[in-house]
Amino acid sequence: MKIKFSARDFSLILSLVAIWVFFAVASPQYLSARNLSALSVELAITATLALGMLLVILPGHIDLSVGSGVGLIGGIAAVLVFNHHWPALLAFLPAIAIALLIWFAQGTLIVRERIPAFIITLGGLLIFKGAFWLVINTHTVPVAPGGRPNLFSLLTTYYLPPLASYGLIAFVLLALVTVTLRGRKRRASMGFEVDDAELAFLKLFLTAQALLLFVLCVNQFRGIPLPVLILGVVALVIQVITRHTPFGRHLYAIGGNEEAAFVSGVPVQRVVIGAYTLLGGIVAITGLLQTAYAGASTTTVGDSMELDAIAACVIGGTSLRGGRGTVLGVIFGALIMASLLNGMTLLAVSPELKFIARGVVLTLAVWMDVKLAKR
Amino acid sequence: MPALLEARAITKRFPGVTALREVSFDLRPGEIHALCGENGAGKSTLIKLLSGLHPHGSYEGELLLDGHSVQFRSIADAQRHGIAVIYQELALIPELSIAENLFLGCEPLRGLLIDWEKLYTEARTVLARVGLDLSSETPVGQLGVGQQQLVEIAKALGKQTRILILDEPTAALAEREVEILLTLLRELQARGIACIYISHKLDEVFAVADRITVLRDGATISTHSTAATSKSGVIRDMVGREIKDLFPRAASRVGDVLLQVDHLSVAASPNRPARLHDISFTVRAGEVLGIGGLMGAGRTELLMHIFGAWGLRLGGQVMIGSRSLRDATPVEALAAGLALVSEDRKRYGLVLDRDIGFNLSLSSLLRLRRGLLVDEEAEVRANQGFFSSLRVKAPSLETVVGTLSGGNQQKVVIGKALMTGPRVVFLDEPTRGIDVGAKLEVYELVNRLTAEGKAVVLVSSELPELMGMSDRILMLHEGGLGGEFSRTEATPERLLAAALGRRLSAA
Repeated sequence: MKIKFSARDFSLILSLVAIWVFFAVASPQYLSARNLSALSVELAITATLALGMLLVILPGHIDLSVGSGVGLIGGIAAVLVFNHHWPALLAFLPAIAIALLIWFAQGTLIVRERIPAFIITLGGLLIFKGAFWLVINTHTVPVAPGGRPNLFSLLTTYYLPPLASYGLIAFVLLALVTVTLRGRKRRASMGFEVDDAELAFLKLFLTAQALLLFVLCVNQFRGIPLPVLILGVVALVIQVITRHTPFGRHLYAIGGNEEAAFVSGVPVQRVVIGAYTLLGGIVAITGLLQTAYAGASTTTVGDSMELDAIAACVIGGTSLRGGRGTVLGVIFGALIMASLLNGMTLLAVSPELKFIARGVVLTLAVWMDVKLAKR
Repeated sequence: MPALLEARAITKRFPGVTALREVSFDLRPGEIHALCGENGAGKSTLIKLLSGLHPHGSYEGELLLDGHSVQFRSIADAQRHGIAVIYQELALIPELSIAENLFLGCEPLRGLLIDWEKLYTEARTVLARVGLDLSSETPVGQLGVGQQQLVEIAKALGKQTRILILDEPTAALAEREVEILLTLLRELQARGIACIYISHKLDEVFAVADRITVLRDGATISTHSTAATSKSGVIRDMVGREIKDLFPRAASRVGDVLLQVDHLSVAASPNRPARLHDISFTVRAGEVLGIGGLMGAGRTELLMHIFGAWGLRLGGQVMIGSRSLRDATPVEALAAGLALVSEDRKRYGLVLDRDIGFNLSLSSLLRLRRGLLVDEEAEVRANQGFFSSLRVKAPSLETVVGTLSGGNQQKVVIGKALMTGPRVVFLDEPTRGIDVGAKLEVYELVNRLTAEGKAVVLVSSELPELMGMSDRILMLHEGGLGGEFSRTEATPERLLAAALGRRLSAA
């Protein structure tokens, strides 16, 4: 792996810096510890959903129903907790099971009946939205009865205490160093090119700087928010799945050339159904997080989140034709989306303009994707 | 009488291959001139030149129309000069009516709107010219293939055509439809339209052509008037090349039957007629079974079906060793010990924008597993093994496959198939589009495989390759068996006759 610092990567980092500078100047609170902490929660939620989306975009499909799904799953859990007085943890289980089932069914319809994912999930978008509103009876259903914190509300209000946060970051850094060193040794022993030592050190050093800066910021507020930890686990799992399992390789192969993958003995249908089912699990996690973040299940929870997730994927270098995309890229794409949306909320930009901004970013990202593919 | 259309000393080179070498050809006014030759002889290339698809400047030599030098820059340019081509694959839109198809792109207008009345009346006149007695409002999708062909011809005639080129027009036609087509060609001829007619079917060629030109290996071999030659003479011209020492087949010890196919009949999809009918054969360990036949004879379909990647079985049985394969998918075929190297490596073989390692191990990932994860060390070891034993010329396993030459891409596809540890290997046109050196390596690999006791099925369009590398040869003819030959029985004439569905007495 030589260093591939493409014009694309460069322009992404530049846009992120530009976004931060713009909002920092426009609104002094943008870079406050409190807001950065909130931004990190929003990033975690967007990125988690986008990583699920990555799983179905890699084999060349799409899912437009995840936004409605987020609302529905959060709504189911909220109704069980608030209306039926279930303990939060117990309420999570059916919500998650329902999500897995729904997305297994959508995946099955897409590959077995050969209905384009676009259509199936467009139908899903409407159906789940309607089901969501039925479930909450178009009321506002708080996640914590009587305002007493429970496991549900803690999802986005728990913070890892500062001291533990430092400890965790130290541990993560140590793990990163070990993994990098072992990876280098292994690659070298198998006769592959490795980065030269200085470059490898520089990469690690920059990563460490970024992580330290992050933990310094959030510790000024209350420590690392729980959603960020959840994102960390989800990202790790998806990274391992996409890079180190036969299933993950098959996702890339199907997206790269489905016919060749089929003839090569890739169980195409099973793999795609598996990807949708995993996405269902992630929709459930996101649904719980987003509903907890809103404090209650209301009719607008999850609105346009499918578009944010797709935009995060595409901005992060995922090809909508399939076969190309990475976990790190998607998280970076989500960071750009979250920074933008958070900044606009802070500036009290009207919803009309927010819609337009989202649309412009999505269009630009897809346009870039198409341009890049034509090269 | 000067030639209507003449090609003088045409040479056309593609990267790595010379497709046409000093080819000369002339078409007289009002004649039907047949162009014959094996697959890859250069017929299609010549036609693409005559029709402007390969524009002036991409080849050497000269084209003359009415004795004047012409330079076609595009297909439209050639059409303006009165040359129309009808390809094997029809270019009609099934949802549109006959009339709409006939005038697609040149609809008669009244102001900005389509003049429907004029469109339909003119369509009627055009249809009458090809003897089609149908309402011009009928959607093309409702017509049979033969009628669609006539619509294509009618469409071509609408454009002041003087020269009509037909590329294998009867490949998909029933006998009755062929008759109608040939009659039409004779009528057009009587009206002064000259025709270049490409066909594998010698019966048709002899029924309709005034003269026959045979191409072989990109060169003109002979031009005869039909009366002055015979079918066997044409066949001899088509194949008459010597088989050089290019094929190092070393026979191995033949063992047990590894693949047995009994009375196999297959359709492309439900409610379609059988594409393959009643095919039976066996292949033994250590043996190379060659399968030949003309384009469209069903060779690729046969391999793809047995491998579980094509078609719907109507009847018959396939056994790999003692295991029966029925309604299989490639996953099951691979598990049964069958591997396939597809003829179309870009479509069915490779994920082009991934690296060599990714492609090599793609079929074997489920076996290279440790727990839930890919055992990456074992994977790299396996990849490196095939990378070096197949002598893939690339900087490393991390080179993107799309950047490799055809021969090296083919080695990656072969390596992927062999990594699955097959007992039976299907090679579908394994040397198509690769250079001579790489071809020789493929042949040596075939020898190595049979020496290891594997069975090899080799599909090839090149008779010399088929005869040089096979222990036994099966010729397919229109989806059925045309004949089976031992290595000693096989002569080019006999093989070609079997492929053409003709019985030829031993020459």
